Amino acid sequence: MPPRNGIILGGRPVARRFGPVNCRGLATMYKREMLRGFKIWGITLAAPTVRALLFASVFGLAIDRQDAMMGGVPFIDFLLPGLVAVAALERSFQSSAFSIVYDKNEGIFSDLAMLPLTPGEIVFGYAAASVSASLIVGAVVWAALLLVGGAVPIAPLTLIFFVALGSLMIGLFSQITGLWARKWDYLESVQTFIFMPFVFLSGVFFSIDELSASAQPFARTNPVFYIVDGIRFAITGRADANPWVGAGVCVAVTVVLWVIVYRLFAAGYRMKS
Amino acid sequence: MTEMTRRRTGTGAVPRVRSFGYVNWRGVWTLYHREVKRFLKVFTQTIAAPVVTTLLFYTIFSVALENRVGTVGSTPFVVFLAPGLIMMTILQNSFANTSSSIMVSKVQGNIVDVLMPPISPLEMMCAYIAGGVTRGMIVAIASTTAMFFLVGLPFENPGAIAFFALSASVMLALLGMIAGIWADKFDHMAAITNFVIVPLSFLSGTFYSIERLPEAWQAFARFNPFFYAIDGFRYGFIGQGDAGFWLGAAVMLGIDLVLFLIVRRMLVTGYKLKS
Repeated sequence: MPPRNGIILGGRPVARRFGPVNCRGLATMYKREMLRGFKIWGITLAAPTVRALLFASVFGLAIDRQDAMMGGVPFIDFLLPGLVAVAALERSFQSSAFSIVYDKNEGIFSDLAMLPLTPGEIVFGYAAASVSASLIVGAVVWAALLLVGGAVPIAPLTLIFFVALGSLMIGLFSQITGLWARKWDYLESVQTFIFMPFVFLSGVFFSIDELSASAQPFARTNPVFYIVDGIRFAITGRADANPWVGAGVCVAVTVVLWVIVYRLFAAGYRMKS
Repeated sequence: MTEMTRRRTGTGAVPRVRSFGYVNWRGVWTLYHREVKRFLKVFTQTIAAPVVTTLLFYTIFSVALENRVGTVGSTPFVVFLAPGLIMMTILQNSFANTSSSIMVSKVQGNIVDVLMPPISPLEMMCAYIAGGVTRGMIVAIASTTAMFFLVGLPFENPGAIAFFALSASVMLALLGMIAGIWADKFDHMAAITNFVIVPLSFLSGTFYSIERLPEAWQAFARFNPFFYAIDGFRYGFIGQGDAGFWLGAAVMLGIDLVLFLIVRRMLVTGYKLKS
């Protein structure tokens, strides 16, 4: 009889065995990442909700005409899906990178290299936590925005698809950022100077058509634009671009990012010194 | 600077204690110097980041709203918006400077190095406030310059601009000290920033004239001290405001005074600092 997990044969401990995928290790890592984010749910859930409500109120108050339109739909209907997108994407950016840099500061990051987890499993663990955290935050923010005129999505599965795809893409970017960042400063710089402009200028608050002709091609090469556009399409049925072309672009970007992150973990970039 | 510090070199073998007059100028200067160096060392986070964020906000609000709002009163929307955004960044940075400084000192345990030297609570708070105000003013000048080129801001009343910039910066530096002393963990600080400072600054009339609000909310908005800071600061640029210069100035001075007394009390009694 082959030795089974955890069973001691003849008084000697036997190494735990697992198949091609270390499911228990993966589950443990996933659980740690989720607990880390939601232990401080007052910040991770309530703060983005308050911010989305604030943005909704100031835009609502600043526009005096109730019939103001944006891209062919009432302004508030245009805005609210964008706010859901911002909240979800921000969560996914903050998930892995903050976790990795925190571990680096504590000096426990290289522990990951010692675990019986393959690079692929590590990437998957972080990515799965990013996506679930974003779906949760997105759902909470969406529910809160119902109070101020949010809409029930016309295509819920499409909505989940775009939120998951967007948070996977940003979550992988977040892993790269976390690996590269030696200190909190680096991480904050990436957030302020790269992530925020990409998200805020992606058509969250305005239709891309409102931008000048010279800014159009630039805006349309921003992959976040396709995510925001897809999320808006799923909620209101209105899109700036063909959402399925957008989904194709984002899947391609995601695959490239996955390969990069995988190679970084496999090489032990800034992990094994 | 050292005219008040009658420092004597040691006579004989015994070094003498440095003596100074009523104010320990050198001590205040040293602490102020530390406060300024602290944020200048990471100027990309403390100066460049707020300016970029302000410009980002300017972009999204102007692209989304310029054609939908047109004018506020008789002021073009972007000219109305710009001073409010500058004031928001002054408020947030003055707050961030003092609060993070005290918070980090507490977490790292080096707050004793500020409490032990021979500087009085009054001197200590002046140095912290000056540090917060310095950061607020550097960020203000940088973003005002950027806005000037983007919007072509008028400067109707430079005195009012300076007064409200300084008094608001002092107000938030003091609030930052209160928050820094009170908070036990970074989570508490994030909560204060997210649930107090950001909502108060968003709902203060940066993006709309409060006359737009329903009656009941107007009264409520007028209890928000940030409203007077933003309104007075905007008055300095465009020459008109909702509250009026003197009321705004009186509110700002009154609040600064009350907060000053609160912080002084906290430092004198050693609330959460001396156990």
